[in-house]
Amino acid sequence: MIKLEINNKQIEVEEGKLLLDVCREEGINIPTMCYIKEIMPTGACRLCVVEDLNTGKLITSCSNMATQGMKVSTHSKRVAESRKVIVELLLSNHPDDCLYCVRNTNCELQDLSYNVGIRERRIRGEKNKHKIDTSGVSLVRDPAKCILCGRCVDACGRVMGVHAIDFVNRGNKSEVGVAFNKGLNTSSCVNCGQCIIVCPVGALYEKDHSAQIIEALDSPKKHVVVQYAPSITVTLAEEIGLPAGTDVNGILNAALRKIGFDAVFDSSFSADLTIMEEATELINRISNGGKLPMITSCCPAWVKYAEEFAPDMIDNLSSCKSPQQMMGSMINNYYAEMKNINPADIYSVAIMPCTAKKFEAQREEMTSQGITDVDAVLTTREFSQFLNKFGIDIKSLDPEDADSPLGKRSTAGKIFGASGGVMEAAVRTAHKMITGKPIKERKIDAIRGFDDIKTTQLQVGDLNIGIAVVNGLGNVDTLLNEIRNGRDDIQFIEVMACPGGCINGGGQPIALNTDNIKKRMASLYTIDDTEEIRTSYENPDIINIYNNYLEEPGGKKSHHLLHTHYMERDVM
Amino acid sequence: MIGKDKKVFLVDDDIDFKDQMEILLKGFGFEVLMGESQAEGEALLKNNKADLAVFDLMMENQDSGFILANKAKRINPEMPIIIATAVAAETGISFSVDTEQDKNWLGADLILEKGIRKDQLHREISKLLKL
Repeated sequence: MIKLEINNKQIEVEEGKLLLDVCREEGINIPTMCYIKEIMPTGACRLCVVEDLNTGKLITSCSNMATQGMKVSTHSKRVAESRKVIVELLLSNHPDDCLYCVRNTNCELQDLSYNVGIRERRIRGEKNKHKIDTSGVSLVRDPAKCILCGRCVDACGRVMGVHAIDFVNRGNKSEVGVAFNKGLNTSSCVNCGQCIIVCPVGALYEKDHSAQIIEALDSPKKHVVVQYAPSITVTLAEEIGLPAGTDVNGILNAALRKIGFDAVFDSSFSADLTIMEEATELINRISNGGKLPMITSCCPAWVKYAEEFAPDMIDNLSSCKSPQQMMGSMINNYYAEMKNINPADIYSVAIMPCTAKKFEAQREEMTSQGITDVDAVLTTREFSQFLNKFGIDIKSLDPEDADSPLGKRSTAGKIFGASGGVMEAAVRTAHKMITGKPIKERKIDAIRGFDDIKTTQLQVGDLNIGIAVVNGLGNVDTLLNEIRNGRDDIQFIEVMACPGGCINGGGQPIALNTDNIKKRMASLYTIDDTEEIRTSYENPDIINIYNNYLEEPGGKKSHHLLHTHYMERDVM
Repeated sequence: MIGKDKKVFLVDDDIDFKDQMEILLKGFGFEVLMGESQAEGEALLKNNKADLAVFDLMMENQDSGFILANKAKRINPEMPIIIATAVAAETGISFSVDTEQDKNWLGADLILEKGIRKDQLHREISKLLKL
């Protein structure tokens, strides 16, 4: 333990803590801009400066440790003045188009300038004239709004291991950009959207599909259906002013009907369908000497990463389409046939936690004769705005069920939203398929939670199966390299690009609050603890769809409608 | 080959871009009918028929591509039209064809920001031609 003095108060803390963390634990709010928790600090923005009274210097609290005998003032006149000037300088070349900005009312720069008391423009600089980049399918970059905090560069490089963007140019011409000044579409960007989550301003945002959806809803010719991902019901709450982790499941169904969607389906159903297909594929690969380890393919950011950075592992990817695309395919085929609707007249919308789902939906393999499996994707954030556009007060609605035949789910499909969830769900069904008996212990604690790589060995009948869960794309190379170097005790790997899984996806509410992410995950596992149907093979809609339409998991029809292929991608 | 036995109009005053696009389109199997200005584009439309068109936006006029697109739609409403432009990057103004109204007044079925990838172009064309 060490002793130090903060704002005239003597405190005792453990050695090795950041000064910023110590202050925050003491209830002192120090503003930061470039700092991301759990990443090596850069100390670039200087907003977190405090006055070291022993040396008389202003030091950055995010990149200095608390040390024995330190005397610090966090809000002295000098500190307050210097913070204010920093924010004034950030504003001096900012476009100031807040009213038209996607982050209006949810912008750290707005909050900061309000909190440090900026009420007039003292410093006038030349406005940024950087070009907007709309070339990407999922993301838009507007460097004119960028304040060069570098958080997106860290999220893309150090967290996700993608390195699609970095600082380019020098001095006041600096901007965050793509290699060779090209558009995002030519880069290695996997569309995960973690850069949006960390961006303090409106320099990064998703491509909006809402105009097309409103057009479809307005057209009497179109039969507009919607699906929502497993994690949405536990994350939307934060966008609509409810406590983090609140499950709004039935209310969401009611809201979607009120908006005017003709049918409301739960992607947790198609997550169950994915599990049926994926567990079958795993068993086939194990029994027939197929390529192992098999790696999940439901995360589109991971799939694109594999196509770009690990083309040697493409054959290891499961051929299953993701739950979003399986649902799209079942809507255009099974549902359309059942309701006698021409698939060309169906407009299929997905509400997803993920910006990469926008990319996935438009992949060429997901379209046949001009009809796409999924026509438009809204992120959780966009959907909450969508609710506002339709004047819906979600809190005033009574819960309703999703539509059958593609609406019932097991909790195994629901926990897809958390890192480790796909694996746990798959193991439950694989156990039944291999042994004929339900699994005794459905919870696999070793693969739950937020660790980077989670592995364990399971005994399933006579088989010993090694499983691994990669939590966060930046960790995947470690495991892949071990496999390339001969590691053979792992047969099945789940990869989720976003740390924590879809509950922390790039389309989720901008939280930057690890407690909220934990609450979202806890909420999914509570659903798993409290509901009755906990395995995909017990879902009555799954039983029906195989009896009435698909025939058998891994069968001919399934292969045609529910499986896909991947290709090596050449990117900069 | 998505362009087998099909023709495409390609009009762009940026010769480098036009050459690149020509290589891509020929690679997809299209017969490519080319022009380097709005005027040449209009002549192409008068004398030929194609299955698809790729027009630049800003040529003699700021909205040359839209003029061409509207004229082309009057002659052959079924022909999908792609506007390939750098207008968003150059001017900050971005156009969308999200709604039927947008498509009707701009005449275009799709607007692509220049710096187009081969796989992206292939995907968009096959969707427009309903392949």
